[in-house]
Amino acid sequence: MKFAFFPGCVSKGGCPELYQSVMEVYPQLGLELEEMTTASCTGAGVLQEKDRKLGDMLNARTFALAEQAGLPIMTICSTCQGVMSQANHRLTADPSYLAAVNEILNEEGLTYRGTTQIRHFVWILLEELGEQGIRQRVRRPLTELRAAPFYGCYLQRPSEALGFQDQPDRAKSLELIMSWLGLEVVDFPGKTRCCGFPLLTINEKNSLRMVASHTLDAKRNGADILVTPCPLCHLNLDGMQSRAGGQQQADIDLPIWHLPQLLGLAMGMEPKRLGLTRHLVSTQGVLDKLGSAVA
Amino acid sequence: MITIFRIRRFNPETSPSMPYFQEYKLDTERADTVLDALMHIRETLDESLTLRCSCRGAICGSCSMRINGHAALACKTKVQAMASERGVVQVEPMNNMPVIKDLVTDMAGFWDKVRQVQPWLQPAGQEPEAEYLASSESMNHLTGVMGCIMCGACVSDCAALEADERFLGPAALAKAYRFVADPRDGAGRSRLLALNEPGGMWDCTRCMECIEVCPKGVGAMDRIMSLRSRGIQAGVPSTCGSRHAEVFADLIYRKGRLDEPMLAARTFGLQNLSRLLSLLPMALRAFVRGKVPKSGPLHRAIPGVEKFRRLFQRMEERP
Amino acid sequence: MTTANEYDVLVMGAGLAGMRAALAAHEAGARVAIMTKVHPVRSHSNAAQGGINAAMTDRGDEWEEHAFETVKGSDYLADQDAVEILAQEAGREILTLEHMGVIFNRNEEGRLGTRRFGGQKRARTFFVSDFTGQAMLHVLFEQLIKARVPVFEEWFVTSLVKDADGRCAGLVGFEIRTSQFALVKAKAVIIASGGLGRVFEPSTNALICTGDGMAIAYRAGAALMDMEMVQYHPTTLKGKGLLITEAARGEGAYLLNRDGERFMKRYAPNMMELASRDVVSRAEQTEINEGRGVDGCVLLDCRHLGRQLIHERLRQISDEVQSFAGIDLTKEPVPIRPGMHYQMGGIKTDVDGRCWEMHGAWAGVPGLFAAGETACLSLHGGNRLGANSLLDTVVFGRRAGRCAAEYAREVPTPHVPDSTVGMEQQAVSALLSRHANRDSVATIRHEMGVAMHTHLGVFRDQEGIMAAKGTLESLRDRYSRVGVQDKGRVFNTSLIRALELGFMLDCAETIVCGALLRRESRGAHFRTDYLYRDDEQWLKHILVYHQPDGSSRVEYLPVRLTRWEPKVRIY
Repeated sequence: MKFAFFPGCVSKGGCPELYQSVMEVYPQLGLELEEMTTASCTGAGVLQEKDRKLGDMLNARTFALAEQAGLPIMTICSTCQGVMSQANHRLTADPSYLAAVNEILNEEGLTYRGTTQIRHFVWILLEELGEQGIRQRVRRPLTELRAAPFYGCYLQRPSEALGFQDQPDRAKSLELIMSWLGLEVVDFPGKTRCCGFPLLTINEKNSLRMVASHTLDAKRNGADILVTPCPLCHLNLDGMQSRAGGQQQADIDLPIWHLPQLLGLAMGMEPKRLGLTRHLVSTQGVLDKLGSAVA
Repeated sequence: MITIFRIRRFNPETSPSMPYFQEYKLDTERADTVLDALMHIRETLDESLTLRCSCRGAICGSCSMRINGHAALACKTKVQAMASERGVVQVEPMNNMPVIKDLVTDMAGFWDKVRQVQPWLQPAGQEPEAEYLASSESMNHLTGVMGCIMCGACVSDCAALEADERFLGPAALAKAYRFVADPRDGAGRSRLLALNEPGGMWDCTRCMECIEVCPKGVGAMDRIMSLRSRGIQAGVPSTCGSRHAEVFADLIYRKGRLDEPMLAARTFGLQNLSRLLSLLPMALRAFVRGKVPKSGPLHRAIPGVEKFRRLFQRMEERP
Repeated sequence: MTTANEYDVLVMGAGLAGMRAALAAHEAGARVAIMTKVHPVRSHSNAAQGGINAAMTDRGDEWEEHAFETVKGSDYLADQDAVEILAQEAGREILTLEHMGVIFNRNEEGRLGTRRFGGQKRARTFFVSDFTGQAMLHVLFEQLIKARVPVFEEWFVTSLVKDADGRCAGLVGFEIRTSQFALVKAKAVIIASGGLGRVFEPSTNALICTGDGMAIAYRAGAALMDMEMVQYHPTTLKGKGLLITEAARGEGAYLLNRDGERFMKRYAPNMMELASRDVVSRAEQTEINEGRGVDGCVLLDCRHLGRQLIHERLRQISDEVQSFAGIDLTKEPVPIRPGMHYQMGGIKTDVDGRCWEMHGAWAGVPGLFAAGETACLSLHGGNRLGANSLLDTVVFGRRAGRCAAEYAREVPTPHVPDSTVGMEQQAVSALLSRHANRDSVATIRHEMGVAMHTHLGVFRDQEGIMAAKGTLESLRDRYSRVGVQDKGRVFNTSLIRALELGFMLDCAETIVCGALLRRESRGAHFRTDYLYRDDEQWLKHILVYHQPDGSSRVEYLPVRLTRWEPKVRIY
């Protein structure tokens, strides 16, 4: 299945290991990707603080580009996915709004007709490969690993824009896929909560409290790692973890993995090729635990 | 359908007074709401089960509680939609506020925050003889936020409040928006200035919990975002939050995409040099770990950015 | 809460009438406080959906027409002097509310817009989508915050206190959170505690509508008037009886029977679906009784109104019907039936809310005032028009508040012994210490509600009313022995519900009393054994007084006619 691939700014910036791991795994999943090089940032909900319609216009432009190419969009970032889903929800719900946005897009010779599908990598695994498609690709079941999911707000809410009504499994997509990879899924209340990243600039203290609270909570519930489909969550949970620990006088030391890394490892790929050495919280301990089979 | 209600109970008069879960099993029908079930328990199994409820029709806002971990009105929530595979529904009092007894919480703090936003119309100038003239659109727009019934569900599940109880919270901020967006109100600027302070509109973490749990579609977070853009438009003193949004927009304009080092540098700038410097050790570690894309830390613009900028300009020119 | 326990004016209830009264008394310079068993915004005024009537003379409407339609709607039982005041002061009151911040719907010129409502030829109903009551309630609460009026929030009133001269002296109640009793003294008390819907099962009313204010006033010697006049609303949802606003029909929805016929043409050929509520409810019940219903209901059809109108003007009921009946208003007709909705009767007051007559024409309690659904002026007579109840609350809430403030200026602080609290506390302790038997408050309440609905609903007769009377007597006896399971002092809702049941039984008995006496059919009181209105004998009000031995005493008062002679009512 072929997609217009929207990697998002962060996988090409602060989380290059995410982009790297996706590039490693996708050919083996039967996916074909055409990277959207001329698409812009979604606005990430930040631009929308200043001007929501501007944000919707930028996203409509991206949707129009994909529509022109006749491809659905694949994202690898909860935030990109959520912001795009919301924009598409607003645009397709109100024809007069769509027309107003198109009036501007016409300037660049583009029109959005409202037909583009936008799906996160996780949903594609869930809905295109399914349990069988994933299990059959697992070479190295990660049975020794206890992992907790961490979705990122934008992949959970608002559920109306994310199509949970028609695809109820999306609400628990991470748990399902993780279990198909053979590992033990650790449930904890923070899995659908906010990592605090959007608050980092304005109120670092509160942001770090959220990082500490969720990582410590996951650890208390027995997790060896936290798995996320959102690079922004990763930036905060991984990047700010030591500082968050310092605030609470706790040594947290909980590795945060991107979902494609976990998938790649289960498919028998080498940790280094998946960028697992490029994290701030070292993944080495967990890799050691998994033993020589993956080393 | 046999359903097990797992209810968190608390009675301050027993000692030691610790919350505990109690289970009640009952036969529920398809159309039953969680409130129907709780009332049935109260009337037939255990009179001491304590909750607030009144209208049964999602307008009085009394029966907010957490059902399977998320705040909701018990009267609007169907048992069938909530029962797990084992037929269990878990019911707890709202979060982010003290519990008085069982499912009854103390909402005094909630109302204190509502009072803080000076929640009454403050018109400018002299009162007209007849009604204030106002557009139909503006009044219709306000019905969306006036629809708030102050049930507290958004406050219960607010992630920013959980991290810091001084945050005004979604309900009070939505209430503030109701006045800022009211064409009859003359205190918009002073309201925005007050909301610009720490604990105000910039302390929302945009997690959308409030949008998801609101039983009336108020969309508190969207209202907070509107407050932010109105604040920026009104030129209230810049904060890290507003600079972040402004710089973000400008970077997208210039490059079509995000440039993280520039975003941090320009958001904190010279005013917050210490914040900027404090990020250096992390940046350095990230560099050492190879958390830098092949193209280097600073990003190139997307191809065709000149054409793209024209769209931007068109948007900003629009009336 | 820590508040001085002495005021000029003390208001019981914080719905629209109570808050409007408190604000008016506050503006008149009185020291005022409110005592309410729920937080103000939880009040049942929330439930008023469709709008508020006013004939705005500056835009070509005439107050006389509004007044006449109200009188006609009442089946000529309304006191016409009171109705004239209501209609004359309506426009000013709407503007006051607008200036306070109510976001009334606008027309294209940006001025206040209107919609049509039942029993009226002109569109004179001002509205906020279909949550007008809620929008007004929250704005009055905003004003209450601004005025810093102290609120005894979640306090349960157990009785009205009088001084040695029989003057009203305050209220005794307890804080629900702590069970702490207090006597709050006041020179004037305004009861604005709403209706008694829960006396009937089902009812559109909230669970808090238990007639508390009517019962404590009755026990203290005030008259309850025209209690037999109980409105059944034509459009309530099957099951729990949730309300669907008359605005749906005001916006053009049809009523259909099982054959898809707009049956109202046979009952009210001119006004059709917008005939007065008693007429529409009887028509529906007749269709259902004669086998032209659908599972005990008839159908409300909104499909032709279109999605946009429904979204803009009927959003709440569209959500409500979706969540509570699983029906999409734009796609399917909704099964509805008449359901108990409003009490036209209540505590007898004059046009300034006084519950006593200064010249002794009728007996009452000096210093006691009432407003809103609790009160009976009588404005609504035998049948209230839609969108007149919100108007009633604000016009007569304001008048009662202002008059109570004036009254308080003239009278000395009442003297009452603090032992009054002790007596009330003992009564509650006695109830708490009673051992639980097999009976329960919930069972008694349910049996009362069903009996009242069965025998005092849309159609009534001697036999049925007597049956209800008998049931109430046995329930009264069981109530004197029933126990309360929860013995705690913190937020004991089990206790609250037991006390409320006592109030409801008092109210039910006065309804039955009035219904037995009134041997005619007028407005909502339709007796199949007395099919016609009888102006010769019954153009009068029935006043019921409580006797020390628990029995009741009846007085009559003529209806006050000003300019409209009773005529045959045709819609």
